[in-house]
Amino acid sequence: MNDSLPEEIALRTETDIIVVRKSVREAATRLGFGITDVTRIITAASELARNVFLYAGSGVVRCRVLNGSDRVGLELIVEDHGPGIVDIDQAMQPGYTSGGGLGFGLPGAKRLMDEMEIESVVGKGTKITIKKWRKGT
Amino acid sequence: MSEERLSIIKVRDILMVTMPADPDDATVSALQERVLLAMERSTARGVVLDVSAVDSLDSFFARMIAETTRMVGLMGGRTVLTGIRPSVAITLTQLGLTLGKTRTALSVDRAFEILRDGSQQVQKP
Repeated sequence: MNDSLPEEIALRTETDIIVVRKSVREAATRLGFGITDVTRIITAASELARNVFLYAGSGVVRCRVLNGSDRVGLELIVEDHGPGIVDIDQAMQPGYTSGGGLGFGLPGAKRLMDEMEIESVVGKGTKITIKKWRKGT
Repeated sequence: MSEERLSIIKVRDILMVTMPADPDDATVSALQERVLLAMERSTARGVVLDVSAVDSLDSFFARMIAETTRMVGLMGGRTVLTGIRPSVAITLTQLGLTLGKTRTALSVDRAFEILRDGSQQVQKP
């Protein structure tokens, strides 16, 4: 069930956000996530993909199935080589934005997912990893 | 590149706007201009914005909706949003978003009723 996930989706134009949403929807649905979790994952992916456009211009999204010993999940890694995040704590404050956004992207994505990890180096880029675990079974 | 298009039709004195399932940013951005132009041309009293086909609504889309409501308000019309799916309502709320002063209705019928009873509640843009 996990062999047909797209390895990498390039984010170059705004329409690639749709490609991300579609791929993520397919992957999450195939893994057996319920409709609300599928929507949460798509929305979080959409927010992070849009951030890549707003701040870095281009980047990639990688999608991976997580096979734990007792659970199954979906991991998305959104990476860019943009300006990086100067103050991650500040960027996680709802409503804070350093340019053009609404300020809901990062904190919102975190609330919608189970886990989120941000690695960012100013001047080098940002890598955000988000995970959602399937409930039940 | 989007094959799914925004549809705007006039039903009596109300504009019925239907969003496609997964609109790209260009379609979402076009929403404002097309709705306002249609308002001007048709002298409609309000807009029913149907998002029942939309299965995920992110902060960009939500902002466009809230802004469209304010703009339609400036022109003297009211906007009623209808068709928010349960999963979308949950996700939007957890994302921390509101749709500003946008009025909502559970069904298109109800949205039309709200707009017909125009004098009942005055909405501030």
